[in-house]
Amino acid sequence: MARGWWIRFSILVALVIGSLMTVTPTLFNLKEDSKFPLKTKINLGLDLQGGLYMVLGIDFNKVYRDEVIGYARKAQATLRDIGVESSLGTLDASDARDPKHSIILAKESDREAAKAKLREFYNYPLRLTKDTGTTLQYGLGRDFSREIEETALSKSIEVIRNRIDEFGVTEPEIVSQGASRIVVQLPGVKDIARAKDLIGRTAKLEFKFVNDEAGQGAMNDWLEKVRKAGIEYKKGERFSDYVTEINKLLVDDLPKGFEIAFSKTVSKTTNEITNLEPYLVEAGTSLTGEELQEAIVRIDPQQNRPYVGLEFKPAGAKIFEELTGANIGKRLAIILDGNVYSAPVIQSKIAGGSAQITLGAGDYNATMMEARDLALVLRAGALPVELVFEEQRVVGPSLGADAIDRAQVASFFGSLLVIIFMVAYYKLSGFIACAAIFVNVLLVMTSMVLVGATLSLPGIAGIALTVGMAVDGNIIIYERIREELRAGMSPFEAVRTGFEKAFWAILDANLTTALAGLCLLNFGTGPVRGFAVTLLIGIFTTVYTSYFVSKVLFEMYVGKGDRKTLSI
Amino acid sequence: MSTTRNTDFVGMFKLAGLLSFVLVVGTIVMYFTKGLNYGVDFRGGVEIQVKFNKSVDLGDLRNLMSEKKVALSQLQSIGDASQNEFLLKLESDKGDLNAVSSQVGSVLAEKYGEGSYEILKNDIVGPKAGAELRMSAFKAIAWAILAIMIYLALRFDYKFAPGAIAALIHDVTIIIGAFIITQKEFSLQIVAALLAIIGYSVNDTVVIYDRVREIEAAHPELPTIQVVNRAINETMSRTIITSATVLGVSVVMLIWGGSVIHDFFFALTIGIILGVYSTIFIAIPMTAVYEKLISKKA
Repeated sequence: MARGWWIRFSILVALVIGSLMTVTPTLFNLKEDSKFPLKTKINLGLDLQGGLYMVLGIDFNKVYRDEVIGYARKAQATLRDIGVESSLGTLDASDARDPKHSIILAKESDREAAKAKLREFYNYPLRLTKDTGTTLQYGLGRDFSREIEETALSKSIEVIRNRIDEFGVTEPEIVSQGASRIVVQLPGVKDIARAKDLIGRTAKLEFKFVNDEAGQGAMNDWLEKVRKAGIEYKKGERFSDYVTEINKLLVDDLPKGFEIAFSKTVSKTTNEITNLEPYLVEAGTSLTGEELQEAIVRIDPQQNRPYVGLEFKPAGAKIFEELTGANIGKRLAIILDGNVYSAPVIQSKIAGGSAQITLGAGDYNATMMEARDLALVLRAGALPVELVFEEQRVVGPSLGADAIDRAQVASFFGSLLVIIFMVAYYKLSGFIACAAIFVNVLLVMTSMVLVGATLSLPGIAGIALTVGMAVDGNIIIYERIREELRAGMSPFEAVRTGFEKAFWAILDANLTTALAGLCLLNFGTGPVRGFAVTLLIGIFTTVYTSYFVSKVLFEMYVGKGDRKTLSI
Repeated sequence: MSTTRNTDFVGMFKLAGLLSFVLVVGTIVMYFTKGLNYGVDFRGGVEIQVKFNKSVDLGDLRNLMSEKKVALSQLQSIGDASQNEFLLKLESDKGDLNAVSSQVGSVLAEKYGEGSYEILKNDIVGPKAGAELRMSAFKAIAWAILAIMIYLALRFDYKFAPGAIAALIHDVTIIIGAFIITQKEFSLQIVAALLAIIGYSVNDTVVIYDRVREIEAAHPELPTIQVVNRAINETMSRTIITSATVLGVSVVMLIWGGSVIHDFFFALTIGIILGVYSTIFIAIPMTAVYEKLISKKA
């Protein structure tokens, strides 16, 4: 036997035993509480176990817009503190990625002082983009924009995780993909519509006072202008875009600091808007859902109708008390994600910090469900940004189960075919090849358990390719050994030379494929990556098993060189 | 297997090249005339697969959807009628994908009741995501081929690279041609299959290149054409056995693997056959042909 054979053989035996232990929980589907010391199983992809896969994109343009408006207001307040009077100018969103907002100074003589103060205070978040006469226009600072993006992404992931935790899904996966996408995977979720609603809803709660002074007549005139301008809501577009467009058109007509918002009712089955009621509300807001302490479902005993009770944090409660005290007689719109839920008239100063969101009339169970989900999202917090569903894949549990069953049966027959063929063609040596291939598949599965890779259908295809390459590796060696035997070498010499000469062919063939695999891992998405992961793992195990494992077994077979014939 | 086999593969290159050229050009023509049936992955849109556990008529379902104003562009049954399985589709530019998807759910629940059907699949790919997936798939394939080319040039010799790359592009193109002819859906899964085929095909090629290299080293006096022919002939038994085994497994998966992986193995089966053909008749002989061209110029 060659030098070091025992060492290599021991390594192989240890590796096989270790691998068998590692894959035992997966193969026998052990429960968590089994006595077996190892617990980790291979993660199954959603295509195999069923569930919901989503890619959500973040609409940063809206975030920029909100931020620039918010900072313009703050800047105005700062100027007031140093005695510079100013009013809010207009928003210039012609470049949606870089919106700008202007501040109009009352006196041009204040300009240098105002600029200096704002530079001192808002050097980082704002950058001066235009500076003419009494107008100072600001856009967001470059670094600040990037910071907004990063914060929005991580906060969104956190909020989604909170919501999913409350929703109760085992082993959810929420990760970022690039700078503006979030991938959410929820295995085993059945109620897709509800899950999507819970995750995708921004849940931005705002309290804004309604301006009723303008009157119904003015409102009708404005909406008439909108109609004449040809702006209408088309099915399939985002409603918020429609509202934004309306406000853009009416920017000079509406009283300064106010905008139009709607109360919208949509039919669940036909998906059409059944009722649309316009409100003139404040453009900014003094109180948002961030001040919420608690949101719980309560039932109105008189009407037997569920509603969501809101409790403010102490600071929010104080703001709420002051606001209501100062605006008695006005209507306060409760706006969720841009939609006016209700607008009760403030009868008196409200102390104690509680409010409520009443829901539309309808089926009790449906309303109850709506109230529960609403309370859940409000508790879990609002998303800092609006998310857009870019991609969604739902696999029903039975489709995945069926796919596994069939793939298992087919894999079994496929393996059987390989074994029969190899043994028939290479006789005793064929067994060695089969043993090497078996170790190969075992090592692939073990590696997947150890690195926590996910096995999906394309992943199975990757393993199939691995088996093919492993078969090939052995065939290359065997054909080589046969050639050397024909050339008159002794079995011992033929095996040695065969392995030696075949090694580079195997290594080169596998390395080239590995390169392709790396490209896939780098540029591919979803299924392509799943394929690449198993392929790359498979290439390593293939080189090891077809060369080293087969060799160790062959050396055992040919012994010390006294064998006269070889069953190959 | 006999060792005396000595077929002139390089001599057959003209014929094989013509055949392949016709197939590749045919595919390109069909791509622009008949077009590839892009799946929801690449085109963007909604695809919902639903299975009822009671008998449902396709016509009734169609009427229900139009009555409720569900904007679908396609509604068809899958398999035979007794399976009660249907596929509902909508292209991305024809409406709000998410709204339609949830609308289908509520319409079905209202009409047939929860529990009388199962949504087997509900895929939504936004137009932006579709375009990006298409781009990333294309990039993955292009980079894979490029990386292989560089590796071959470094590891072997620059003269090996053009043949291998021509063979890979040839394989990928003709499989796409098969998908155009059958109008089977071209999805991300098929891209994975194409990549697997690239892997197989280049594997075949490299094994023979290795032999070419070895013969060249042992007999530097032999002309390349002879070396190449000898390498193909000497490795022929390995080529046949490996391909037969792998093809066998692929066919088994194709027949018994179930509908989910059917198209994948359809592509793989064709690809394995093409891979062997392109290795023997295109990639390797081209090495000799390429060298002849270079020496003529020089």
